[in-house]
Amino acid sequence: MTLPVLVGNRSFLALLFGVLLALPAFANQYTLFVGNLMLLYIILALGLNILVGFAGLLAFANAAIYGIGAYGTALLQVHLGWSFWAAAPVGAVLAMLIGTLLAFPALRLSGIFLALATLAFAQATQWVLWHWQSVTFGAGGFRVPPPDFGWIPVKQDYGIYFVSWAVTLGLLLFTWRIMRSRIGRAFVAMRDGEIAAQSLGIDLLTYKAMAFALSSFYAGVAGALYSGLLGFVSPEAFDLFQMIIQKAMIVVGGLGSVVGSVLGAALLVYVMEVLREFKSTQEIVFGALLIAFMVFQPHGLVVFMKRWLPGWEEPLHLAGGVQSTAPGHDTSVAGATSKEHASAERT
Amino acid sequence: MLMFSYLMATGITTGAFYALVALGIVIVYKSTEVVNLAHGDLFMVGGMLAYTCYVMGGIPYLPSLLLAVAGAFVVGILTERVAYRSVLKHGLASVLVATIGVSFVLKGIGRYIWGGKGDYLAFPPIVSPEPLQFGNIMIMSQQLVVLFAVIVVMAALALFFKRTRAGKWMQATASNPKAAMLCGLRIDRIYMYTFAVGAALAGAAGVLMAPLTHLYPDVGFVLFIKGMAAAVLGGLTSIPGAVLGGVLLGLAEQLAAGYLHSSFQDVVAFLVIMFALIFLPTGLLGARGLRKV
Repeated sequence: MTLPVLVGNRSFLALLFGVLLALPAFANQYTLFVGNLMLLYIILALGLNILVGFAGLLAFANAAIYGIGAYGTALLQVHLGWSFWAAAPVGAVLAMLIGTLLAFPALRLSGIFLALATLAFAQATQWVLWHWQSVTFGAGGFRVPPPDFGWIPVKQDYGIYFVSWAVTLGLLLFTWRIMRSRIGRAFVAMRDGEIAAQSLGIDLLTYKAMAFALSSFYAGVAGALYSGLLGFVSPEAFDLFQMIIQKAMIVVGGLGSVVGSVLGAALLVYVMEVLREFKSTQEIVFGALLIAFMVFQPHGLVVFMKRWLPGWEEPLHLAGGVQSTAPGHDTSVAGATSKEHASAERT
Repeated sequence: MLMFSYLMATGITTGAFYALVALGIVIVYKSTEVVNLAHGDLFMVGGMLAYTCYVMGGIPYLPSLLLAVAGAFVVGILTERVAYRSVLKHGLASVLVATIGVSFVLKGIGRYIWGGKGDYLAFPPIVSPEPLQFGNIMIMSQQLVVLFAVIVVMAALALFFKRTRAGKWMQATASNPKAAMLCGLRIDRIYMYTFAVGAALAGAAGVLMAPLTHLYPDVGFVLFIKGMAAAVLGGLTSIPGAVLGGVLLGLAEQLAAGYLHSSFQDVVAFLVIMFALIFLPTGLLGARGLRKV
């Protein structure tokens, strides 16, 4: 039992977060910024994976919710003079409330139609950010005062980095626990067969609303931290390309895998930074990554981790495509539950 | 009253154009049940190819149009072979993710090749840029060309589906892929040509519309949303529905822009998609009695 624990997903996470915690000691300002971005994207990918990978709801609104979190936090500071510490939780909760409303269309729509409706919602949000100029300052964006760390002796960019680190670790552990709880299993049951889940006593409205609420809360938290990190928000940071980046992260990492979200986010932030100067190359690379993983390895990098690392446990990893409500998914359901039993016996 | 009739005229002509975009989406959806999120980017590719032939290459307009449509057709085949075919077996939602990947690859390629020459490429008008006067309404003559082209394309598609074998194969595949396969149809090939025909339609729309909208790499998604709204309003499976939806969307946009505020023009399409999907899932002319949503 000792060796698998050393080369498994837990040790990977411990190593990653250890390195990220030590980063400010030896990194320059730019590397620190990238590290911070990585933490934010880990939050975003975790949230999106709850919705798409665990609950099987293919929604395209995460970037817009992320934007609502960032704008909510920033606008409360600019218009009402709140401090960052008061505005950030309110911004995150606002994003969560708006995101939860998306569960209502999700009750009637599934698959492609949910994707289209949420895509329209995301574009409508963009439209509001562009045109409601008296509140959102329009297309140019606006500056936000930096978070105040007056009460602890730490430099501003180090301060926001440590806050992001702690929040990300907290949300990661929370996701880890909750996806192995009754709620996570209900999500997976819903993903693998809505009717079957319903007949097992899972209330679809409650759990869909919960999936949307959780994922939009994560996006809202990431948005709040983003506004604090950058000190500037503008609509184009939350456009469709942002959505594709997040989607690519969970597809590359592995749908329905907590550690996969972390893996995908960490890798793709690196890719994004390498290509930062060339928007066209970024678009081609992220689009091609999505296609390549859909064609060659729709279950993500986690598959290789499971194969090569003995301690890598993925009981709820999505074993079909994005959505396994298609006929012939019974095997994957059986597979998932048997694996779950196996892991339950081991622990 | 003058403003109203002007808005109606503009609404119908822009609506006809949305219908042309919607037709491509509907045709692909009808036989594969996939909404091609890269449709708008194929539109952009068509327009850019026509720009390359017509403006940069000095080829006359009609051959440029044909070249651009053929180019879009080939791109459609390529995307199906490379990205969609092997993903189809994982389910429709996976294909949707693949189409959005294709969308961004095409957009990036568009930005790489054509994006550097100023942000917006102006396509010179092919017919006289003078507006025509009907009574006291002014209409751009290019808009009439688009309107005429939409009618031609719609008639051609109706004939294609009613009269040709290939059209009937596509319909058979759409209504029951397994039965179509048992009858000896090569459905993977039919899917491929369906995507290609959809792409060619997008390309044609791009060429026709290029003189009216400037070309830029991001033009595709904006138009995709409008075409999608028209298609959803019409019921996603109906060709007359797509045309009706397009015209209604065009009219609603113009009325919103004329009587509320010009910025409301763009938001109509989002609202139409959201509300039509939730409250009118079969659209105006979609197939009844089937719960696909």
